[in-house]
Amino acid sequence: MTEITRDPRVIVFFAAVFASLLILVPMPSEDGLQTRLKFGLDLEGGSWLQLKLQGAIIQPQVDPIKILEKQFGDAFGAPVEVEWRQATTEYHITVEGRVTRAQVDNLGYPQATVTPRGEATRISIATSPIGVMVNFLQTSLDSDVRYVGPDPISFEVRSDVTREALEALLAEVGGTLAPGEAGFSEGVTEDTVDETKQILDRKLNRLGLADIKVRVVDNKFILIDLAGVSVTDAQEIVGKPGVFEIRIQTKGNESMHVLYGSEIVDVSLPSGDRAGNWGVPFTLSEEGARAFQKAAIDTGATKNRMDHEVSMHLDNDLIFSAPLAQDLAASLEVAPMRSMIAQVGPDSQRAHELYIHLREGALPVNVEIIGSGQVTAALGEQFKKQVLIAGILALLAAGFMVFYRYRRPKIVVPLVATSFSEVLMMLAIAALLNWQLDLAALAGLIVVVGTGIDHLVIITDELLYEGKMPSGKVYLARLSSAFGIIMAAAATMIVAMLPLFGMGFGAFKSFALITIAGVLIGVLIARPAYGRIIGRIMQEDRQ
Amino acid sequence: MDPETFISKYEPRKMVAISLAVFAVAFAILGFTYINTGSPVRLGVEFTGGTIVTVPIIESEGELAAKLAGYPVLDLRDVGHRYMVQIGPMSDADYRELSAMITSEYRDPEIKYMGPVYSARLMEQAKTYIPLSFLFMAVVIFVIFRTPFVAMTVIFAAFSDIVIAAACMTVVGVSLSMGTVAALLMLIGYSVDSNILLNMRVFKRRGKIEDKIAGAFRTGLAMTTTTLSAVVALFLVATFSYLVSPAFTQINILFDISIVLIFGITAGLMNTWVMNSNALRWYLARPKKAPARRQKR
Repeated sequence: MTEITRDPRVIVFFAAVFASLLILVPMPSEDGLQTRLKFGLDLEGGSWLQLKLQGAIIQPQVDPIKILEKQFGDAFGAPVEVEWRQATTEYHITVEGRVTRAQVDNLGYPQATVTPRGEATRISIATSPIGVMVNFLQTSLDSDVRYVGPDPISFEVRSDVTREALEALLAEVGGTLAPGEAGFSEGVTEDTVDETKQILDRKLNRLGLADIKVRVVDNKFILIDLAGVSVTDAQEIVGKPGVFEIRIQTKGNESMHVLYGSEIVDVSLPSGDRAGNWGVPFTLSEEGARAFQKAAIDTGATKNRMDHEVSMHLDNDLIFSAPLAQDLAASLEVAPMRSMIAQVGPDSQRAHELYIHLREGALPVNVEIIGSGQVTAALGEQFKKQVLIAGILALLAAGFMVFYRYRRPKIVVPLVATSFSEVLMMLAIAALLNWQLDLAALAGLIVVVGTGIDHLVIITDELLYEGKMPSGKVYLARLSSAFGIIMAAAATMIVAMLPLFGMGFGAFKSFALITIAGVLIGVLIARPAYGRIIGRIMQEDRQ
Repeated sequence: MDPETFISKYEPRKMVAISLAVFAVAFAILGFTYINTGSPVRLGVEFTGGTIVTVPIIESEGELAAKLAGYPVLDLRDVGHRYMVQIGPMSDADYRELSAMITSEYRDPEIKYMGPVYSARLMEQAKTYIPLSFLFMAVVIFVIFRTPFVAMTVIFAAFSDIVIAAACMTVVGVSLSMGTVAALLMLIGYSVDSNILLNMRVFKRRGKIEDKIAGAFRTGLAMTTTTLSAVVALFLVATFSYLVSPAFTQINILFDISIVLIFGITAGLMNTWVMNSNALRWYLARPKKAPARRQKR
């Protein structure tokens, strides 16, 4: 046997223990001495929310012409003829009898031209087949619908819709959903999830909270961890939109209220013009448009636009300010205007931020709170103490059992010390990889220490077989047979833990991680070194 | 009784039969529960949906119950300086009202709300993942042992451990939670430890089978008692530490994990040393066939 201090297993072990101590030693920080260990919400205090984004991605198989026939036929109770003009991307609809613009408007086609033709009326709608489908789904589901992509044609429905409801709806126009998961899947597109997540992030960041984690799971769940906030406040924050306000400068630093975000009925994605200037188009309600016109005239902004800037505020923070455009100022003199563009100049990033702010009145999709909870910091502190006591007692109890069996300090001390070193290494890995140690993870740690001692007992017994320590080849053979046993046990433990990564949004992920880490540390680092050290000690004993 | 006597005194078939009988009783308990409730174990709030609230004790149980009269309270109990209340599914508006009331009236409340979507999803996952975990374990066991008879005994012992642990849960009224699921999965991993030891010792060493089993039994007993003592320490602190300090309370999740492990590890003792060791004795002593093939590494 080589000299024990030169054995690579022993060197690796002591290096790992030393590194663990370095990682775990408390370092001075702003809040006094702090270890690098991160604790979970149930020990640190805080609340969590689990949100489900309501929506579905669908692939309808339907003929737009049939949709228009049905929509217009039902609306006017008269025979309808629909024709698709590919060259001009227009639908021509001929309806018997007289039809007014307003009636067509009501069907969701405000851009249509309506011309009487003898006994009938000809309606031209400049839209694509996709436009017809979106409009149909939007009006009949009373929900926001977005076109996702052409191959195959799919849409995102941003509300709580079921497959059955959609199939019934499509059946009315001779259509159906593509079969299987592809035709209808719960969830929303990645873009929508990102947008929702960004909005939530911003909302929460404005509260000035230090430690916020927002995670997305399966493109339809958003999980939020908030340290130091009560669950009631957290639910308020997520459920309640920010207060968006438009004001117009009166004189100097003063300004007057014009309207709130509730008067903004639609916001379009930012668009850039040929000169590279970006803007965010938005639409006011009729009432909002009247209020805007009145304020613009009252403050004198229509006459002297440069001295009376229009500003936008979110929860009282200024987010945008600019004078009225010249042509807008002129138009407002005579009539209220509903469609406007907030111009931000060449910065597309800023345009996107403004877009999110303007939309802050609502998240892009409805969210349902499917889980939430809280533990206060004081309670978490108590749990921490209790777990620490449990850990110490567990190690003592296991140590006592080992002593009861071997009655030889020369075996018991290295055995318990090895086991304790495994705890150090597990904690160091957790600190290094930023794992959140929650109650479950610490329970896992305690149990793993228990099973770790098992393996040390197997090694010791294997070597001590027949009450004496073998030498040379026999020793090595015994050691390798002991490792055969513990490797097999470690492998089964690891595979058994795998499912916990996915369950319950990973509520027990840290339990599984710490268990697997403990098993691996034990098998790869601590136990090989223990085998050598205990072998050496017992050989000395024999001489 | 010393290990040698314990191992060699009784007839193998009798010992296996005793273990199988225990398994059968446990299985019957689960079956009975399944027939009555539609689920082999009682489901906790995490799986049925609902709310768990714990608050410090500042009033009598009756007063708290009166305060919560408008909500579907399932269970209210003293967990050591705190009350724990389990409340069934309720509307979003009710839950908001409840959480607002609790956070404003009590210092340091703990609230956990699991909506129907969450619990349905968790249920689905448990149904998929627990068997999957078991399957993985079985594959690993087959790879390690190769001899079908041996692999089957080890896998059956693990299965029996879990069934007995689950039946004990039902008997003492512990319901299925994330904590108990984690502990059951851990049992799947843990239960094979001493079986592997037993089989390796029996197949890899020379000597009389009874002696080899007795040797393994001594080691196994030492192993299991150390783990068990660590888990019992966890259990005691989770359950009774409130008797020591008024600041402490029972910690559910630790209680759940430790009690299931105590049941399972104890069942494991029986399944390894009463059932499997005797099954091996019978297997190796059975007439006419040549001695069992040597185990491959």
